[in-house]
Amino acid sequence: MIEIASLSKRYGRHLAVDEISFEVAKGEVVGFLGPNGAGKSTTLKMLTGFLPPTAGAARIGGYDIFRESLEVRKHIGYMPENVPLYTEMRVKEYLRFRGALRGMKGSHLRTRLGEVMETAGLTHVRRKMIKTLSKGYRQRVGLADALIHEPDLLILDEPTNGLDPNQIRSIRSLIQRLGEKHTILLSTHILSEVEMTCNKVVIIDEGKVKAADTPSNLVKNMRRAGRISVEMKVAADEGETYLNALENVKKVTSEPLRDGWTRFAVFCEPRTDTRLKISELSHEKRWPLRSLARKNATLEEVFVELTRKD
Amino acid sequence: MRVFRILFMKELKSYFFSPFGWLIMAFAALMQGLSLSTTMKGFMDVAQSESLVYVVFQAPTFWFYFLFLFPVLTMRLFSEENRSGTLEGLLTAPVQTWQVVLSKYSAAYLTFAILWIPVLFHFKLFTMITNVPPPFTNGEIYGSLLIILLMGALFTAMGCLASCLTSSQIIAGIVCIGFLFIHFLLGLVTLWWGDQIPAAPFFHFISSREHLDLFSRGLLDSRPIIYYLTMTGFVLILTHHVLDFRRWKP
Repeated sequence: MIEIASLSKRYGRHLAVDEISFEVAKGEVVGFLGPNGAGKSTTLKMLTGFLPPTAGAARIGGYDIFRESLEVRKHIGYMPENVPLYTEMRVKEYLRFRGALRGMKGSHLRTRLGEVMETAGLTHVRRKMIKTLSKGYRQRVGLADALIHEPDLLILDEPTNGLDPNQIRSIRSLIQRLGEKHTILLSTHILSEVEMTCNKVVIIDEGKVKAADTPSNLVKNMRRAGRISVEMKVAADEGETYLNALENVKKVTSEPLRDGWTRFAVFCEPRTDTRLKISELSHEKRWPLRSLARKNATLEEVFVELTRKD
Repeated sequence: MRVFRILFMKELKSYFFSPFGWLIMAFAALMQGLSLSTTMKGFMDVAQSESLVYVVFQAPTFWFYFLFLFPVLTMRLFSEENRSGTLEGLLTAPVQTWQVVLSKYSAAYLTFAILWIPVLFHFKLFTMITNVPPPFTNGEIYGSLLIILLMGALFTAMGCLASCLTSSQIIAGIVCIGFLFIHFLLGLVTLWWGDQIPAAPFFHFISSREHLDLFSRGLLDSRPIIYYLTMTGFVLILTHHVLDFRRWKP
């Protein structure tokens, strides 16, 4: 659906997007992550044809984003950051206007209007002026606008930005439902959202792609993925010595607890499991063991690991 | 064409489905009525050799309100979309830039044209409610309105260009009035420097004041007609390029 080949964007001296390349297959829901100013919005603006790339190329549905911009724009539904809308229009009037701009008319437009307002939960505010709507409703109007012409690809720039938890939840479940039928590229920096809605993640930082994979693979490949927490009744330094000697163990830290036990954190190579070895060790040394657990890394840790500056 | 019509209707609605368009209309009708009534008073006091229409459009108040109509009509067109970000939504829909430019221009121009209906009505009213023979002919009325519509075509285009250059309505309005004043003052250069300077024919050629002078006597000259039409096209092309530049700048 989307093929991006070393796309770059330069604003004067500042290189906002630096030769990024990735692909999005039809039917995928892709989360586009990155810290503020990483180049997410710029990339999306280039894909939608609002800004030209400085270098590189991208194709959406087989059409070149620069040369065949009009064709590309017919096939995408785009919700820009902060959802700009004509605030003096009424909800239904606005959606009808946007649908007509995309070449819809007559009964087709009427039925789609009803459908998108139903999907986005706007039916009861359809006669209200957009300027009287709350941020959450405006966000939904933006989403309905992006959906009305049944686009092959939805590009959403921070769809849940600035919403309260209930609104985030409703927008998120809406995106999940949409993901069953549409290809979606959504940018965000809310990681729980990505874990719940996306089947692929692209992380960019300082204009470069840092990772592109499924959320579970990203988590698995994390350096911290093999962290095991152990609580045993043994002296801290003695325990550390023996644990360090185990296979695949990279580092051990310990922390004496008040009740005479010691908690160890055992860092291992990725994709290894040392829990059995630790259990055998405690059994062999007759150290009482009361807790042995592998901590799963979260997407948040992956994100921090990939994008932190220190 | 359909996209153009949709955009055009939307722009036209934004003038007339809000108090905005009606306020401008009221202002224009008021100023037009004032110039007519003061001129009529003048006619009562002193005998005049010129026609009523000619004197109405020669009054200095005419240029004062005429030139101020354009920034008010056009300053919002592009700058507001730019500021609120709706331009992004508009230009990422399958819409061509020329359709956006032409639809906004046409809506502003049509609104401008509607502002001159009262003038036509005023002069008709004059013949209807007075029993003196009308001190003007139809040629003078239609000539004046024709040149006003021609000047309006160019000045509205200049307003669109100004609005396109900035995301602030106020600045757009100031830039627009700047364009119009410079254009108007260039037409007055020969009044101060005389006709001896080599560029005098050029200043006569672009002088809106002289064009109005000519047309409000009922005289048609093809040169101003060509001038305003080509300049309108040129300024609109420039507006299109300014708006589209975003898509080309590396």
